[in-house]
Amino acid sequence: MNEEPYRWLEAVENRREYVREQLKGGSPAFGVKLPDGILLVAIGSGNSKVFELFDRHALAALGHPADIEKIRQAAIDAAHMEAFTRAPEDVSLRRLIGFGLSPQLKTNFEQIFSAPFLIEMLLAELHNDPANDVLVRLHFDGSFEFATTPVVVVGAHPEPEKAAQTWLIEQLADQTDRERIIDTLLQAWWVMRENKSFAELPSEEDRRNGWREATKDRVLEIGWLDRKLKRPARFVWLAGDKFGAKSEA
Amino acid sequence: MTEQIAGDFLSLLSSQRVPVLTAERAPAVSNGGTNAPVQTQATTVFAFHYNDGVLMAGDRRATAGNVIVTDRVDKVIDIDATSILAIAGVPATAFEMARVMQTSFEYYRRSQLQNLSLPAKVRALARLLRENLPMTMQGVGVVVPLFAGLDTQTNPPQPLIFFYDPLGAQFQAVGYAASGSGSGTIRSILSYQEKYGSPKPSEMNLQQAVQFTLRLLMTASEFDAATGGINPETNTYATIKVLDADGVRTISAEEQSGFLKGR
Repeated sequence: MNEEPYRWLEAVENRREYVREQLKGGSPAFGVKLPDGILLVAIGSGNSKVFELFDRHALAALGHPADIEKIRQAAIDAAHMEAFTRAPEDVSLRRLIGFGLSPQLKTNFEQIFSAPFLIEMLLAELHNDPANDVLVRLHFDGSFEFATTPVVVVGAHPEPEKAAQTWLIEQLADQTDRERIIDTLLQAWWVMRENKSFAELPSEEDRRNGWREATKDRVLEIGWLDRKLKRPARFVWLAGDKFGAKSEA
Repeated sequence: MTEQIAGDFLSLLSSQRVPVLTAERAPAVSNGGTNAPVQTQATTVFAFHYNDGVLMAGDRRATAGNVIVTDRVDKVIDIDATSILAIAGVPATAFEMARVMQTSFEYYRRSQLQNLSLPAKVRALARLLRENLPMTMQGVGVVVPLFAGLDTQTNPPQPLIFFYDPLGAQFQAVGYAASGSGSGTIRSILSYQEKYGSPKPSEMNLQQAVQFTLRLLMTASEFDAATGGINPETNTYATIKVLDADGVRTISAEEQSGFLKGR
């Protein structure tokens, strides 16, 4: 195979299809930049999709739990080592992803005889000035994008992810009420989960009833990076009870 | 690479070959040797139970020999949301211990998705003191800290005080603990107040406890040149933190000023 590069390219392409196929049933996650902080929302089984990484950093992911765990642990190790050997202020997503997670994921993805990571991620970094807040979309193959939009969706496939993101950006423009934002995110979650089109959406009532019904036996994981907190660790869990779902908080 | 223990920050550091408080870093001098640096030390820190929780306080002076280095040191440090450390001894080592503890406890909480238990936190400090043994034996890095943490196994959670010897032995304080060069004075007054005083420290409300704390420090500074005391005229107050079922809270200089005046 080493003498036949085109077979390697084919193998990588097959691998990409395999990963996307495996992620197909994954439950989407969302990140929203707000004036008071950054919101991360997902539906999982409790401590399964949204995580605190460091003082101002958090992660939302979908994928295989063992792979999420490996990446989460690698990110936490790198962030704490950086903070200890330099300073907490030196921990940045640009360095964490660009020099740590991304090369690791890319190397793993291209080693075609080892199992690929089944994971899609969103990472968030809080700053004192909301204009400097960072959301980064990191993919299973190590590619990443620094988001220029206030809303980022993590889905298993690019098309529904993009459609959901476009719809949410429109719906959440100038919206700062956290409860309303979470309700809208969950509506988008339900639409994606049901494989419905954002071009021909069911009514708002149907969407709301839909997500409420679908989340009955699941845990609403709402992470909040709070800009107003005075302590170094800014991550808090928000109670999802008021939305009629089980809560991580 | 050494094998890493899950959630243990010291073993992560070790696996990455980052040295912490290790013997090979200790200079080969003994206390009083001609090359021995003048140590920045001497302090008064103490903690006692009041009716809502634990109050931990310290003066803010750092001295080196007969020189006052600064009157603005914070010797009582938040380690995490439910534990505080008061340092007495050589600041270079003590602040490093505090930094290791802060990172270790948060690392454990984030990586293991649960809080480190109070006994584990208490032992973590004992472990750091033991790892500092070469510096302690050479007399250039002695640290004798106090630690307060919230025991969440009880309902409601109870704040507890612990004190240590320089070699790392840990003891739970029943009513109070003190450390540093001015601690003798403090211990005597706390003992007297607990036996014969009214109210006893454990019966004091927050205002009484803070007022009592500031008076304790003023008294200690009269007998110990290395204890800074407080000076309302220059707005120099102590570092005071309280730990109760809700966690750690810092009593600001403004609050201390108000409490001292009985407001």
